[in-house]
Amino acid sequence: MVQGAVANTQYNYEIVKKFAIMSLVWGVFGMSGGVYIAAELAFPFLNFDIAQITFGRLRPVHTSLVIFGFGGNALFATSYYVVQRTCQTPLASNWMAGLTFWGWQAVLFLGVLSYMNGIVDSSKEYAEFPWYLDILIAIVWIAYFAVFLLTLLRRSQPHIYVANWFYLAFILATAILHIFRNLSVPVGLFHPDSYSVYAGVQDAMVQWWYGHNSVGFFLTAAFLGMMYYFVPKQAGRPIYSYRLSIIHFWALSFMYMWVGGHHLHWTALPDWASSLAAAFSIMLLMPSWGGMINGIMTLSGAWDKLRTDPIMLFMITALSFYGMSTFEGPMMSLKSVNALSHYTDWTIGHVHSGALGWVAMITFGSLYHMMPRLWETRLYSTKLVYVHFWLATIGIVLYISAMWVSGIGQGLMLRAFDQYGNLAYTFIETVSFMHLPLVVRMVGGMLFVSGLLLMCFNIYMTIRHAKHEQKAIEEAQLAAKLARAGV
Amino acid sequence: MAEQLQNKAVQTTGHAWDGDLQEFNNPLPSWWLWAFYASVLFALVYWVLFPAWPIGSDYTKGLATATFKNDQGEEVTMGWNSRAAFIQEMQEGGDALKQKAYLQKVSAASYDEISRDPEMTAFAESLAKVVFADNCAACHGIGGTPPIVGLYPNLRDDDWLWGGTFGQIEHTISQGRIGFMPAFGKVLDTGQVDQLAHYVLGLSGHEVDPAKAKLGEVIFQGEEGGCHYCHTQSGKGLYSQGAANLTDAIWTVADVTGQNDLKDKVKLVSQVIDEGIQREMPGWSKRLSEIEIKLLTVYVHSLSGGE
Repeated sequence: MVQGAVANTQYNYEIVKKFAIMSLVWGVFGMSGGVYIAAELAFPFLNFDIAQITFGRLRPVHTSLVIFGFGGNALFATSYYVVQRTCQTPLASNWMAGLTFWGWQAVLFLGVLSYMNGIVDSSKEYAEFPWYLDILIAIVWIAYFAVFLLTLLRRSQPHIYVANWFYLAFILATAILHIFRNLSVPVGLFHPDSYSVYAGVQDAMVQWWYGHNSVGFFLTAAFLGMMYYFVPKQAGRPIYSYRLSIIHFWALSFMYMWVGGHHLHWTALPDWASSLAAAFSIMLLMPSWGGMINGIMTLSGAWDKLRTDPIMLFMITALSFYGMSTFEGPMMSLKSVNALSHYTDWTIGHVHSGALGWVAMITFGSLYHMMPRLWETRLYSTKLVYVHFWLATIGIVLYISAMWVSGIGQGLMLRAFDQYGNLAYTFIETVSFMHLPLVVRMVGGMLFVSGLLLMCFNIYMTIRHAKHEQKAIEEAQLAAKLARAGV
Repeated sequence: MAEQLQNKAVQTTGHAWDGDLQEFNNPLPSWWLWAFYASVLFALVYWVLFPAWPIGSDYTKGLATATFKNDQGEEVTMGWNSRAAFIQEMQEGGDALKQKAYLQKVSAASYDEISRDPEMTAFAESLAKVVFADNCAACHGIGGTPPIVGLYPNLRDDDWLWGGTFGQIEHTISQGRIGFMPAFGKVLDTGQVDQLAHYVLGLSGHEVDPAKAKLGEVIFQGEEGGCHYCHTQSGKGLYSQGAANLTDAIWTVADVTGQNDLKDKVKLVSQVIDEGIQREMPGWSKRLSEIEIKLLTVYVHSLSGGE
């Protein structure tokens, strides 16, 4: 059954290694930045009246670095790894892959500099890059698409593995989303600002078509691709259902495109657009869960692995959080629930149960699986992986619960009436109520980041050992050669 | 379970990737499939009931309706939409009706009637404390005490710059006020400013240098300073000019009570005389409704007892 495997040396692992390491580097910066702005919300003096580190400037730094820095680099790394191994062919173009690496790091670095200096396209949440960086992103993305597609076409396997469908859908959808959201007219050739071609409620609608599908294709479909390769690999078991993977792939891709309007309930958005989006959001629940079922059921019959394999723990927990947040999402998209949850921390908690629970946890699991294999060695410490797992999990639970308390609490306070039919609370009373949950959220974030730092240490030691081992092997080979030569 | 999987292990799709990657071909879990059908059914029902699908420049209106009374008092029923639903809620909702009844009562009542009726006073306070906290507290502080002396008047000290009767407070809120004192540093030298400061501090009972205060009095009451035009000869001030009462030891610009040393007190008062005052409170008549201003007036009046 096993077909002639291509030797590892033929694959382009260098590019995968670079992206994987940068994923961790940006992850540390992005998540630490997140903890800092969380601390600023609880203790506002922490901005020290320095414009560059105020919440408004650091917030897009945090979101861009965790989504595009940590998540994006992890997706580049794993997609290049998966597509080579499942197609049994090296990447179609090494120089184009190199272009995606350097181009992407340049976008992130220049983006952070821009944001901190107040050059922010602030009407485009999660697309705050100034227009010239948008062009660079488009170039990188076209190269990415070309490398991935050409590699698929060169495959020495008759069929395309399911993980690659998800990666390809992610690359294609992200290109469309990025280009149409950022259509704008620059103020001048040497001016960082630009005017969006859309105006008013159309601009808002395009924004959330972009925003929600970034969640759908960047943070969901792409990481499902990751899941579809690394979960069965780590579990050593076949995927539960091919049929389910096809159905939920197409259902997910079709449904997601319609739901962006649920971010704009009870606004100037026409009511029909609002209810259309809400209904599609409900229909999105089961297609989302298809991925969770396929991942979790893949492990059925091998549950004992959870006792011995912390990497599997990361993956299963990721799938559980994925299931939870894709249930929570459709509920929040119902207009009546949204009337309570919108503009409160409940939304922030929901996003992070997806971002920390699903995206980061599945990435940690996949990187722990992949990185030792890239350097052809074993992980430095499995115990540290356990510690990381518990730090991350406790961190997430604290984070999400704090945001439920803060968000639902504030939502209820803002709609409470007293015995005269007047609003019972002032806005500032709801803010002071939120202080304690905001502190707990900050602590949750700190735990999560400390877990990531442990991971970086673990990976660093793993790579260092690999280099020592490599040296020892080379010396032994040299000695053998010399012995043969009879020196 | 394990046996079941054993059986199914045979039914993989027959492909293998990267050595050992394979796929079973299990059927869709039936609970998943039925739940998916149910969600589709939910969406269909939802779309039948509510506005949903665009058709050309129009859209499907849905079967659900909202009914409310228009400005002419006629009952109107239309396809459900969020604006109509809001109007209906404001006309029929329990809390809205309760508030409406109170609002009708207080808008018909005079300030004196409201302040004599405990129920109306309690209603006014319940409504106005939120209006105050959301609009006024940014400057005047939560509950009417600003966190920093100097920038904004304290509303709890029963010391009024523009008058503390209901009518005066209402005028202040709806029209706003421009508080202005010229910068006397332009016309007086530093010695004269120092003498004035001693005199002014003496008005509120501070032990000051009597010689300097005497010279300061001449400037204050004479044409050179002309201070008495606004602050009056007794130093109690004119409401019409928003001029502070200098005899009551309540300070709204210079933080005199925060200093122990006479020298520091004189320095702060001198600074005010030297630089003058320019403060502005915006008018709220365009932002708050008439009834909100009325209830806010009752609330601000009650903070210190009013005049």
